[in-house]
Amino acid sequence: MIQLDHIYKWVKSGGRRVFLLNDLSLHIEKGEFLSIMGTSGSGKSTLLNVVAMLDGFDEGEYYFEGEAIHDLKAKKRTSIFNENIGFIFQAYHLLDELTVYENIETPLLYKKVKSSERKALVADILDKFNIVGKKDLFPHQLSGGQQQLVGIARALIIKPKLILADEPTGNLNSTQSDEIMKLFKELNEEGVTIIQATHSENNAAYGSRTIKLLDGSISKN
Amino acid sequence: MLRNYLKSARRTILKNKGVYGINIIGLSLGLASCLLILLFILDEVSYDSYHQKSEDIVRVVFKAEIGGEEISEAVVMPPVGPTLEKEFPEVLTAARLRKMNNPKLTYNNKNYGDFEFAYIDPEFLEVFDLKIIKGNNTNPLENPKAVIITEKQAERYFGTENPIGKNLSFEQWDKQFTVTAVIEEFPENSHFEFGVLASMEGYDYAKSTSWVNSDFHTYLLLKDGEQYKNLEAKLPGIMDKYMGPQIREAIGVSYSEFKDKNQVGLFLQPLTEIHLNPDFVSSGDLKPGMDIKYLYIFGAVAIFMLFIACINFMNLATAAASKRAKEVGIRKVLGSGQKQLVKQFLTESFLATIIAALLAILLVVLFLPTFNQLAGKSLQIIDLLQFSIVLTTMGLIVFVAFLAGGYPAFFLSSFKPVQVLKSRFASSGKSSLRNGLVVFQFIISAGLILATIVVYQQMAFIQNKDLGYHKDHILVIREAHLLGEQREAFKNQVLKDPRVTSISNSSFVPAGPTDISMSGVLLGGEYQRRMFIYNVDEAYIPTLGLDLVSGRNFSKEFGAERNRVVINETAARSLGFHKDPIGKTFTLDTEDGGRELNIIGLVKDFHFKSLHREIEPLILMNNPYGGLIIRINTADISTLLANIENQWQKFNIKEPFSYTFLDESFNRTYLREQKMGTILSIFTGLTIFVACMGLFGLVTFAAERRVREIGIRKVLGSSIPEIIALLSRDFIRLILISFLIAFPLGYFLMEQWLEDFAYRIEIKWWMFLLAAFLTTFIALMTIGFKSFKAASVNPIKSLRTE
Repeated sequence: MIQLDHIYKWVKSGGRRVFLLNDLSLHIEKGEFLSIMGTSGSGKSTLLNVVAMLDGFDEGEYYFEGEAIHDLKAKKRTSIFNENIGFIFQAYHLLDELTVYENIETPLLYKKVKSSERKALVADILDKFNIVGKKDLFPHQLSGGQQQLVGIARALIIKPKLILADEPTGNLNSTQSDEIMKLFKELNEEGVTIIQATHSENNAAYGSRTIKLLDGSISKN
Repeated sequence: MLRNYLKSARRTILKNKGVYGINIIGLSLGLASCLLILLFILDEVSYDSYHQKSEDIVRVVFKAEIGGEEISEAVVMPPVGPTLEKEFPEVLTAARLRKMNNPKLTYNNKNYGDFEFAYIDPEFLEVFDLKIIKGNNTNPLENPKAVIITEKQAERYFGTENPIGKNLSFEQWDKQFTVTAVIEEFPENSHFEFGVLASMEGYDYAKSTSWVNSDFHTYLLLKDGEQYKNLEAKLPGIMDKYMGPQIREAIGVSYSEFKDKNQVGLFLQPLTEIHLNPDFVSSGDLKPGMDIKYLYIFGAVAIFMLFIACINFMNLATAAASKRAKEVGIRKVLGSGQKQLVKQFLTESFLATIIAALLAILLVVLFLPTFNQLAGKSLQIIDLLQFSIVLTTMGLIVFVAFLAGGYPAFFLSSFKPVQVLKSRFASSGKSSLRNGLVVFQFIISAGLILATIVVYQQMAFIQNKDLGYHKDHILVIREAHLLGEQREAFKNQVLKDPRVTSISNSSFVPAGPTDISMSGVLLGGEYQRRMFIYNVDEAYIPTLGLDLVSGRNFSKEFGAERNRVVINETAARSLGFHKDPIGKTFTLDTEDGGRELNIIGLVKDFHFKSLHREIEPLILMNNPYGGLIIRINTADISTLLANIENQWQKFNIKEPFSYTFLDESFNRTYLREQKMGTILSIFTGLTIFVACMGLFGLVTFAAERRVREIGIRKVLGSSIPEIIALLSRDFIRLILISFLIAFPLGYFLMEQWLEDFAYRIEIKWWMFLLAAFLTTFIALMTIGFKSFKAASVNPIKSLRTE
């Protein structure tokens, strides 16, 4: 599904290149649940952003389902992202002024899904995540775990092929964390490909494969 | 989708009440000012356009320069109208109007004054739309004794009786007229304002063939009003043909010789331009016009204010970018394109603008009466429903929403999600565009403050200028001519009151309603120019406090003073009697071939016309008639007035006692400038208020953005004043930069305004200093308040949140 070949990404600092990603090659199969581990600054988030096409890279090749991402225009990349990828943040990043229901509905609005279909899809996912009773609440009225649940529901609403999660449980306690991980596991079993970046060995263990990053390169596969 | 945009917008506005409060209040003030000023301007430009044929009507005016005297008159010679109609086929109809001053009529043994009277040609009704509501509506003025009156006058004289066929007598002119029709009042936006209009057929002067005396307002209905310049080009030929021979007869010089030294000509002025080109105010214009400059000034102020409010919107939106950035990032990750975000932000600005517009309409409704009072208008709330106003309002909403919301929309929607979501993002404090816009706001604010200072200084200058006469404590009774033979007796009775210093018998006063008389002057048989004539008595000079430079005043001791005159310094200079005019003689051009006058005194120049105009030559003649001018020496005016009124009634005058104070009349001369000054200062205040609200918002953001920096600095030992200085420095620098542009610009524009005054102040350095001080002070107050709050926060709090 994803093929990264010799990816380099750097920033210039005082005339020298500081490598964020250094000759990184990675192959991910459809249906995998990959955990990326590594210390702060090892390049986990950068890698996720590159995979998500939210960030570019300076050298190397990136194929997404056979499509050469490195050759595409920004607009096309954005549309591939919008069609296929759901992104989950450590800080949830819910829209404060929208209710739970509206937050989950937003991606559908941008995809111009019809009103009746939207209602059905949102109702389904609220049901699945057991948050029907919370649908009219605003994010600040929810606990961290609940907010992340909404974040995941929102990422899933477009039925993405790939879920990218950047330390999804970083702000949660261990009980909440386990619940989210179990949910990921279930989703993975339903056929969704998942890539998560995490600090926690415990969380990584839910995945089917773990890679370790060090200074922008894979140190352990 | 729109519903969702609206929902988002509504919640965003509610959540950011502070910022949107500033934006909406600013925009509503800007829009309200725009609407008020638009109403004002529309009313001003609508003058005389209500006549169906207004586009094809022109007025014939007279301009000349004779003997160095510039003449521009709204009235022309009696035969001009009929001659032009006869000579040129493109003139369909000519209609003349001859206004008569101080008319008095009698009906049913009752005297009436205080109305406007004119003779008009019967054709006047063909040219202009006068709505006849009663009586003969085909040709009411055919009969030489016919008169038409307005509704109000009809009610005044006849009450509920039918006015048609009733006789009104004008004893002063020994005439009787029969009412043939009643017309509607002239609308406010007409340069006509008459109550009684009599047929020109019965007015002998109208049949005069003189091309030397001008007294007739003359209007032409043209085939094609747009071509009036073509007709105008043919008018010099008419002057040669008709005026030429008469000039030779009148002053003994051939017309071509006369034209070598002097310029005379007839010109055409489109009807709808009369009101906004008041060049003829001083010589026969029917109603004071409006200087078009004020329309430009107000229009500019309205637009400035709207711009300032829009700038607030833009600046605050971009300054708040760090807050909105996260939302942009999330939405983009959720699949939003830039276009959709632009739409969302524009929805916000549209919603805010529409709220502001509704508020603005409310403000206009609330403040229209106040504005009317200030501007001397009678604008109606219903006027707001005019098609053009509604259209403009909608146009303004769209324009403002795009202008104010457009830049932020594109700016915000261009954020890259990766950058903004990492929460490392902070919109940089330094935005050159934002700084530029702040500078622009303060250019306008400082410029307006400077303008207001200059206007007020000029007004104060006029108030306090040495006019060459004393305007205070002078009571003018123009109606004293009603006393007739008894005037002397009345005068002596009033003089007995110790509170009365002196009384002069004259109808000529330097301010307010006055008789005007001009006559040509010849020197050694050669025509010089026209000079103003004041007919006065021997008490005039002391009563008005004129300064006699040399020679003597008129005096009863010297017997008949009929051919002796006192002149002013300008007249002396004009006649070439620089050193000592006393004893010199010159000739007054009269019907019976001239009158030799002997100069016995010279008065210092005094401002007998408004300070807009240079002092002109003036001749004082000893020929008392008309009103009384009373110098008093008491502050207790009411009992004195009661006493004088008491005397007035004893003389059994039918007219009620009426008077004016000279200083009040004087002030009224500058009423327009004063009103405009007041309006200008109010709008200046509002503009600055809106600009400062924006500044307040920006400082708030700056303080928020730098809260950590402030905390660290305080921990390191910085004092509160130092923090305030830190926060204010950037803004003060911008304001100082704005002075560099505002002051030269303001200087240039105010020089233009001052040019209208023949007697004016110079713009001095301290005015700039004062404007700079005021602007900086107001800005500092705004910034200081917020800065102080930010600086006073306990640093532990602000650092802990990091």
